[in-house]
Amino acid sequence: MPDEVAGDRPRIRPALLAVILVLVVLCPLGYSIVRGVFTPGPEPGQVFLERPDPKHEACVRETEYMRYHHWELLRSVREEVVRYGVRGEVGLSRCRDCHTSRERFCNQCHDAVSLTPDCFDCHYYP
Amino acid sequence: MTVDAAENTSQDTRAPAGEGAAPVQSRNGKPILIEPDLDFIDALRKQGRESFEKCFQCGTCSATCALSPDRDPFPRKEMIWAGWGMKDRLLTDPDIWLCYQCHDCTTRCPRGARPGDVLAAIRQECVTQFSFPRFLGRWVNQPQYLPLMLAIPAVLLGLALALKGPLETALGMAPEAGERIVYSYSSVFPHWLLNIFFFTFSILVLLVAISGVVRFWRAMKSSAPQDQIERPARGLLASILTALKSIITHDDFAQCTKSRPRMWSHLSVFFGFAALTLVTLWVITAKHNPLVQDTFIYPFGFWNPWKLLANVGGIAVLGGCLLMIGDRVKEGDQPGANSYSDWTLIGTLMLVVLTGFFTEVLHYVRLEPHRHLAYFVHLMFVFTLLIYLPYSKFAHLIYRTTAIVFAEYIGRTARTQPTSAAETRSPQQEVESHAG
Repeated sequence: MPDEVAGDRPRIRPALLAVILVLVVLCPLGYSIVRGVFTPGPEPGQVFLERPDPKHEACVRETEYMRYHHWELLRSVREEVVRYGVRGEVGLSRCRDCHTSRERFCNQCHDAVSLTPDCFDCHYYP
Repeated sequence: MTVDAAENTSQDTRAPAGEGAAPVQSRNGKPILIEPDLDFIDALRKQGRESFEKCFQCGTCSATCALSPDRDPFPRKEMIWAGWGMKDRLLTDPDIWLCYQCHDCTTRCPRGARPGDVLAAIRQECVTQFSFPRFLGRWVNQPQYLPLMLAIPAVLLGLALALKGPLETALGMAPEAGERIVYSYSSVFPHWLLNIFFFTFSILVLLVAISGVVRFWRAMKSSAPQDQIERPARGLLASILTALKSIITHDDFAQCTKSRPRMWSHLSVFFGFAALTLVTLWVITAKHNPLVQDTFIYPFGFWNPWKLLANVGGIAVLGGCLLMIGDRVKEGDQPGANSYSDWTLIGTLMLVVLTGFFTEVLHYVRLEPHRHLAYFVHLMFVFTLLIYLPYSKFAHLIYRTTAIVFAEYIGRTARTQPTSAAETRSPQQEVESHAG
């Protein structure tokens, strides 16, 4: 009978798969533990984002706005410059007056969220 | 109608009942008074499981079942109990939870009595019986209450969001925006609000689950044979470990032959859901986790191992659910006809995962108000899954685990069954003893 043939299949297969799956599910935990244990913590005074150069008192918009919407602002500036030839106060060249390092400022967040903006394919940022 | 059924005539301590009738005593030493619970029979009928009435107690089902123990095998005795409306016996019977509804019995039943489906219906009644309050168990499993059942989580979640402002000032919560939270959802759904909201309801669900487990355990204990309770087959801890091992490796489930694909789809959903749960726990405890306290950035980047696990887990749940649906559609009304409670669990799981992926996609394409709306719907379905956990089919997580632990404890599973010839009874003896 076909049923009996099916019943004679080796029973180990689901159990073995289950063990492998348990290990897969625990992978990130292992990764985080190893990373957490072997990565030295931040040195005193080390910050996640580079603090802006104090020579300018404020950004063009509030910090909250900039944190979540700077890309919208930059895009609208791009539209104004490229399509309408209006060159206002805000521009990418002014950003780096304060935020001097792309590595220590922009990339910190962009890398964390796997974001690769194409701005810098053309534009140079020190 | 009163029927005394003799199950164990070897140790006679009671005075003969009635006029010269054989002395009767049940397994647990108490006389059996059969009072058919007509409401219970009706409840089974309502689930479309009136097929137990066709059973003529041939015992093919018990003989064909790979998981049924030698002593008092299931599902034959459950079939006659269902017919007699012996609600108390059925709902305190761990055996109904040892069945994985693989339909090896249903396929071979000469009367089309569908023992596998009847056990599924009894399990749902068991959930309703032990999860407080009972009316929620009824509502969750009846289609006419579906709009209400969906409206409750939507209204509660909406209310929590509407009260965000006043709560923020009352609790002194600062609007959340750390430099480590990048393009987050927290501007609309602050983490403190979601944590308080979900934590409160998780505690409620946990309390219902614990009280259900305790009452179910006591009930099983009171109806199990006394000698097995006094001399358990193994310790409680050992029972729990064995049960967990058998659940994780699906080794009982793998004994099915007729509906073996059910095991694979369950395995997929099981591990996918475990992965998603683990990621969720990791995220909500990150603030207090010494391993990541200083480096935690949320939402995760796409290549973060945790994000990868969550995505793979989501795909596993979705794939498993699709397999289940395919299986059910293919089978049609053949062995394994499915009830409303089956479909609601699969549906809710699918909606949780689909809305989750939809939100993720909207997040990646940076659609600003839209992703928040999608996230609201996603949270609503997550909440639906959570608050109805002790009442829906999802409650098998609680009750099946408890029953398997109990079965291990008293040596009831096929694994732990003592193969003593003295205790083995032929089906013929069984029938005679039931017939009284």
